[in-house]
Amino acid sequence: MYPRPFEYRAVTTVDEALRVLHEVEDGKVLAGGQSLLPLMKLRLASPGVLVDISGIPDLSYIRPQGENAVEIGSLTTHDTVAHSALLQERCPILPAAARGIADQQIRNRGTIGGSSCHADPASDLPPTLLALDAEFSIVGPKGSRTVPAKEFFVDLFETQVQRDEILHHIQVPTLGPQWGWSYTKFNRREGDYPIVGVAILVRLDSHGRRLEEVRIGLAAVNPTPCRARAAERFLQGQEISPAILKEAAHRSTEGLHPGSDMHGSSQYRRDMVQVFVRRGLEEAVTRARLAGGNP
Amino acid sequence: MSAARTSPRSVAVPAPAEGTGWVGKSIPTKESVRFTTGHGSYLDDVKLEGTAHIALVHSPYAHARIRSIDVKEASAMPGVLAVYTGEDIRKLVDPFMQLAPPPADKVLDYPLAVEKVRFVGEPVAVVVARDRYLAADAAEMVQVDYDVLPPVMDAESAASPSAPILHEAIGTNRVWDGVYEYGDVDGAFAQADLVIQEKFHYHRFNSAPLELNAALASFDRRTGELTLYTNNVMPMFCMPLVASSLRLPSDRIRVIVPDVGGSFGNKINSFPYMVLVSVLSMQLGRPVKWTELRSEFLAAGTHGNERTFQIEAAVRKDGTLLGLRGEAFDDTGAYARYEPAGAVIWAQVAFSMYRHKNLRLHFHSVFTNKCPVGPNRGYSRAQHLFLYERIMDRIADRLGLDRGEVRERNFVRADEMPYQAPNGTVLDGGDYARALHRVQEMLDLPSLRAQQKALRARGRYLGVGIAAALDSAGNNFAQVRVINPHLPFSGNSESARVWMDMMGRVHVAMGPTNQGQGHETMASQIVAHELGLNPEDVHALPGFDSHSHPYTGHSGAYASRTAVMGGGALLGAARELRRRIQVIAAHLLKTAPEDILLEKGEARSRRTGNALPLSVIGGVALGNSLELPLDMDTNLSVTYVYRPPFRIPSHVDKKGNFTLTYSYQVHGAVVEVDPETGKVHLRRYVAVDDCGNMINPAIVEGQVIGAAVHGIEAALLCEAKYGADGQLLASSFTDYLCATSLDVPPVEVEHFITPSTAGPMGVRGVGEGGGTALPALAAAVEDALSPFGVTFQDSHLTPERIQSAMRGRAPTVPSPP
Ligand SMILES: Cc1cc2nc3c(=O)[nH]c(=O)nc-3n(C[C@H](O)[C@H](O)[C@H](O)COP(=O)(O)OP(=O)(O)OC[C@H]3O[C@@H](n4cnc5c(N)ncnc54)[C@H](O)[C@@H]3O)c2cc1C
Repeated sequence: MYPRPFEYRAVTTVDEALRVLHEVEDGKVLAGGQSLLPLMKLRLASPGVLVDISGIPDLSYIRPQGENAVEIGSLTTHDTVAHSALLQERCPILPAAARGIADQQIRNRGTIGGSSCHADPASDLPPTLLALDAEFSIVGPKGSRTVPAKEFFVDLFETQVQRDEILHHIQVPTLGPQWGWSYTKFNRREGDYPIVGVAILVRLDSHGRRLEEVRIGLAAVNPTPCRARAAERFLQGQEISPAILKEAAHRSTEGLHPGSDMHGSSQYRRDMVQVFVRRGLEEAVTRARLAGGNP
Repeated sequence: MSAARTSPRSVAVPAPAEGTGWVGKSIPTKESVRFTTGHGSYLDDVKLEGTAHIALVHSPYAHARIRSIDVKEASAMPGVLAVYTGEDIRKLVDPFMQLAPPPADKVLDYPLAVEKVRFVGEPVAVVVARDRYLAADAAEMVQVDYDVLPPVMDAESAASPSAPILHEAIGTNRVWDGVYEYGDVDGAFAQADLVIQEKFHYHRFNSAPLELNAALASFDRRTGELTLYTNNVMPMFCMPLVASSLRLPSDRIRVIVPDVGGSFGNKINSFPYMVLVSVLSMQLGRPVKWTELRSEFLAAGTHGNERTFQIEAAVRKDGTLLGLRGEAFDDTGAYARYEPAGAVIWAQVAFSMYRHKNLRLHFHSVFTNKCPVGPNRGYSRAQHLFLYERIMDRIADRLGLDRGEVRERNFVRADEMPYQAPNGTVLDGGDYARALHRVQEMLDLPSLRAQQKALRARGRYLGVGIAAALDSAGNNFAQVRVINPHLPFSGNSESARVWMDMMGRVHVAMGPTNQGQGHETMASQIVAHELGLNPEDVHALPGFDSHSHPYTGHSGAYASRTAVMGGGALLGAARELRRRIQVIAAHLLKTAPEDILLEKGEARSRRTGNALPLSVIGGVALGNSLELPLDMDTNLSVTYVYRPPFRIPSHVDKKGNFTLTYSYQVHGAVVEVDPETGKVHLRRYVAVDDCGNMINPAIVEGQVIGAAVHGIEAALLCEAKYGADGQLLASSFTDYLCATSLDVPPVEVEHFITPSTAGPMGVRGVGEGGGTALPALAAAVEDALSPFGVTFQDSHLTPERIQSAMRGRAPTVPSPP
């Protein structure tokens, strides 16, 4: 509860943030503080300088990028994502995942950028962004670059964002009417980090019978949020049936090495991935059929 | 404690007749206003000039020898005033008195670990610094070198002779062990149609009060007096321990308890920390404060007693329980700080609510490398009651009978009340079967069964669990003599002082500390009722201060005792003050004292109707006293000690009246279990409670709901779980999962009122709830999953535990209700 000593710098522009991060040796970006501050209080993290970016006005927004995408500023809070009409219309899986994060107080402060950069494999947004093939725009001393989701998450608590960079915004695609989705968070208590989290996107053919494309993002089962690629490949082009979904669920644990804790052993987490991939696929398919007029 | 009057014997007083009828009214608790508007004053709100703060260095190992501690670097850190190790403290204080008989009385227990550490989180050194941050910085620099030893992580293996020993001085891990035998147990088993064998485990958890332990000591070198601010809720019982450890006469210690943010028993074991800050204050000559961290509380505060039962039940074909026999292993953790009291406290409810006569339980209290245990809502009884409820379910299931019917067959009947159980405890009234029926009605059992059947056909699993329990209150301390006949404790008592000032205003103070239960309101109601006042017009002193509050050695808020014990004292004091007011008023109004009625703040002659406001009585008695004859008592301050008529139980046959009153409750839970994940969804929760006459029904309802929720979260969410290596897995609120309002449906409560045959005003203590939710939920989950034929032996049901029990099982054909 008592962090080690640190210096605090509040910045008001991206440039200022980058300058300070460049100047100081052990600076760390502070956004909503909902992951960093608890770690500091437990003395598991002890940055020398906190560079508070939460006062930068132009990093909090959700806006359309043409017809096919939405851009989300990194300081956009979970609560804002959860209630965004634009996202609800174009990319409803993201608000659904954001709604289940923690409690209202935390959703009021925690940001999509913070959640992404923190890269806790048990978080709700990263597997969802992974399933969405989101793009992450990073700014740093050498300018800006865009990194696809599948490269963004590097390791446990590690992303492509370097110490002197900040994540500027995230771009997610507009999901057309042939898409269905589901986000399932399984936990023991409302609002907790998931024991397993499963983000699913499916695209059906025009009859609602065949799976054209499937993307499955998983939380809390590997050192990074990950995709169940084997199951995705298996499902692609398949005619939908209970047996197929069950088989896909079975394959979804391929390559997973979930850790154990008191809420779920590795084996239990694997079992739960299977349960929730199957249920999530059913839910996503039902949604896609409703949206595509093929209930 | 001047002018203490002792009641000769218990008075089973009926609900008060005279007065304005404040007893029994659901008035809002007056202290809630300050608590809910941010004006409570808790321990950390007490600020003294020049206070130093401490940070503790904790053991990262469950069991290890301390080779060396290097404090050089830490001592040189900025703002550090001193660093003390266990060895340093050992030279300054005496070890804590032990309750256990030999050899466990030889255990050396100090505020900091000496020579060895015996659980993860045990404090080994302390840094005193100018502020809390600097103290924490320096604590990280204390270097401790350990020789790691194998830990002992469960009570059964700890009891085996080959186990590593925690306390070499006693050569065993046994704290206490003894056999309780009542009736003809072997005879009962000889008559049995069926013998059921089971093993049950009651897990470790505590009740997570919002405010954690804290203490602030201020030693005045001028007067030699120590002022000890604490949120310990049994401070005057702890005082002999604290004083003797500090080698201070008790008249040099003033104890102050400010507002307390919950305890549920968990704060009783804080005395090592009270001694620690006190000795540091005496050493440094300045106030020293400690406020516990949540992680410290979880690792080194108090856990409830973890207990394992190996049990056999002798049963007749019709479901009658004839006898129980077996072993109980109580895992008391690394030190016996309140233990082995738990080895006898359970005997208050030895036979639970049931009529059977034969019980033999070999009880073992054992040291393990875990956090010391201590009182936790339902202390030591909830474990035993869990055993009974699960046995009743087993009897029913094995005989194909209805679980409710089996309870009914075995319940003590209403026409047998008051009922003396075979160990001498007396159940003081109630109708257990009727409460069970009412819960069944509230749940609408037949329609639930129909719903259950319909859902099962669709692969959904609904279950109903009903459990009953006692809530014993006002314990007879002499029961500890069953475990150690030389202990100087017996009986129970409580003290209250009611006084009137010159302006006719009435004040009240009593021994029990308020942890949020509404003591100030309840005291005001009783006093207002007796003196014809409004509760708002009675000033109840907040908190506790040994310089201003009356107390006895039993004083405190524990074991659901305040309504009964405090109530008795308040009633006695208020009635005596009323009598004195009547005498004075009668003189002034020229009538007889019996003619004086106290009503609406006045003393009135019933005969003439003439009246005097109480301000005149106070003014005359205390300031204008020559208006009264010199031989008239003008002392308007009454201290009264209430003392129930207990006897000392025999330590040979272990029989006696262990407790004064027994509330009871029946709870019903409706759950839906996801058979694939093992997750339990609590759909409905109902409770019927009977605590006799209620002083304030709204407060009772709060207690019933609170106890139910604590039980629900214990069953489904909270577990102080350790790994095999002795690490505490639930080391923060990330893993120690307290229920939130999203996890618990509204608890639907109904009250029965069967006045107690033993408690003053017909009141029974209420507040612990007997842990009824734990067996109710275990029963509900089993009922839901009955098509799969799974049973559970543990009081804690995690999704994984349920799911793994289900693995490989398929449901049988939808079973009949
Ligand atoms: C009790 C509790 C429960 C929670 N439960 C959940 C849950 O169920 N599901 C869930 O997903 N999350 C949960 N969280 C985490 C929450 O979502 C956090 O808000 C989120 O993980 C971090 O966002 P933040 O804005 O608070 O980041 P901060 O804590 O401020 O920062 C987190 C990390 O990201 C870095 N960072 C932040 N923003 C940027 C940026 N723009 N550029 C570069 N680096 C950056 C920081 O330097 C830091 O390393 C919970 C948190 C708490 C306290």
